[in-house]
Amino acid sequence: MTDLDTHLRKFQKELSAGTVSLALLAVLAAGGEAMYGYQIAKQLERVGEGVLSGKQSALYPVLRNLEGSGLLDSHVEPSVSGPPRRYYRITDAGRAVLHEWAAAWRATRDSVDSVLEGLIP
Amino acid sequence: MNAFNPSNDTARAGLPTTIPEYLEHLRRSLAGADPALVQDALYDAEEYLRSEMAENPGRSEAEVIVSVAGSYGAPDEVADIYRDTEVKVQSALRAPPPRPRGSWIGKFFGVIAEPRTYASLFYMLLSLATGIFFFTWVVTGISLSAGLAVLIIGIPFVILYFGSVRMLSLVEGRIVETMLGERMPRRPLYTERGKPLLSRIGDLFTDPRVWATQLYFLLMLPLGILYFTVAVTGLTVSLTLIAAPIAAMFGADSRLSIDGLVWGEPWLYPVAMLAGVILLFLTLHAARLVGHLHGQLAKHMLVKTAQYT
Repeated sequence: MTDLDTHLRKFQKELSAGTVSLALLAVLAAGGEAMYGYQIAKQLERVGEGVLSGKQSALYPVLRNLEGSGLLDSHVEPSVSGPPRRYYRITDAGRAVLHEWAAAWRATRDSVDSVLEGLIP
Repeated sequence: MNAFNPSNDTARAGLPTTIPEYLEHLRRSLAGADPALVQDALYDAEEYLRSEMAENPGRSEAEVIVSVAGSYGAPDEVADIYRDTEVKVQSALRAPPPRPRGSWIGKFFGVIAEPRTYASLFYMLLSLATGIFFFTWVVTGISLSAGLAVLIIGIPFVILYFGSVRMLSLVEGRIVETMLGERMPRRPLYTERGKPLLSRIGDLFTDPRVWATQLYFLLMLPLGILYFTVAVTGLTVSLTLIAAPIAAMFGADSRLSIDGLVWGEPWLYPVAMLAGVILLFLTLHAARLVGHLHGQLAKHMLVKTAQYT
């Protein structure tokens, strides 16, 4: 049982390594407005556990690295309660990349689906 | 997802009960990691924890941390995630390191094919401008602070000046990371956000990093002049030596004159060209060396290492 569990964990971790960036760009593109880390984490939690496989902290380094490669913009704003927050917004380059990634994702999903088809009753 | 896995009971028993403890634990778990990475991880964790506190006003800090251990992660898990992601992303975003060359000739001439060389060279040229700016900023700031401190309006000025030094150290960190490839913090350092404003202002003056940053900024002027001079001299002299024989063949004044000594013999042309090529590569190697050393200097003076070891 625990063995199965670790296998699942490992698989989820590997899956999310690639998909978190895509999901982040998509959430920020869909929202249209700037969001901060915690908001994005909660948004993804609402949509489903699949992407993050339950670890919100996995999100922050990815956000920072997307910003580093110019796909996101950010600015800091003081907040009424809690610490100052870093708000992220998607850039034009980010939108272009998102478009490409979405196409790649759909192709991957379709091919994996067709391989899996009929495998499990 | 915030529910607990019963097999985790021992892990839960060791969970911290306050936010500073959680951050301290995270800092311990990240011991040995790059200080810039540690600073970023602490910033992110504190933002998440405080947001979670603000969302759930009725709950105690200990309760929030217990629930967060399931979603954000316990300090050890968070530390692992940061380490993993950093390695993965570094290898994905960075250009692959050049193939190590065996022969010393390959090592010597391979430098021309490495992008990092040109970034360092550009940093050396830019450092004259940034050096003048930083130096002027610190000298003006310090003297105006000292002069105005006796007046009421002097006090906010002093505070503003010290705050600006912190901001500028982040800016310089970004330049250093982009051009010299040394990992620098991408988030401001803030800890103990709950403290009252006055003691936070007090921290500004006792933070050794703010003083080290000012020293670094003062140092940037002589260093900038040195870097600029080395880069410009090395490039012009070597390129001139390479180009002169070619220009001579096209009928330009065909004499080489160094410090008043004039040579006109054509056999000198290949010698001059060879000297030019060697000097050019020496300049490129000097740029690599300066890039490496300056990155280390910036890291030690702008990032507070002592806190994380």
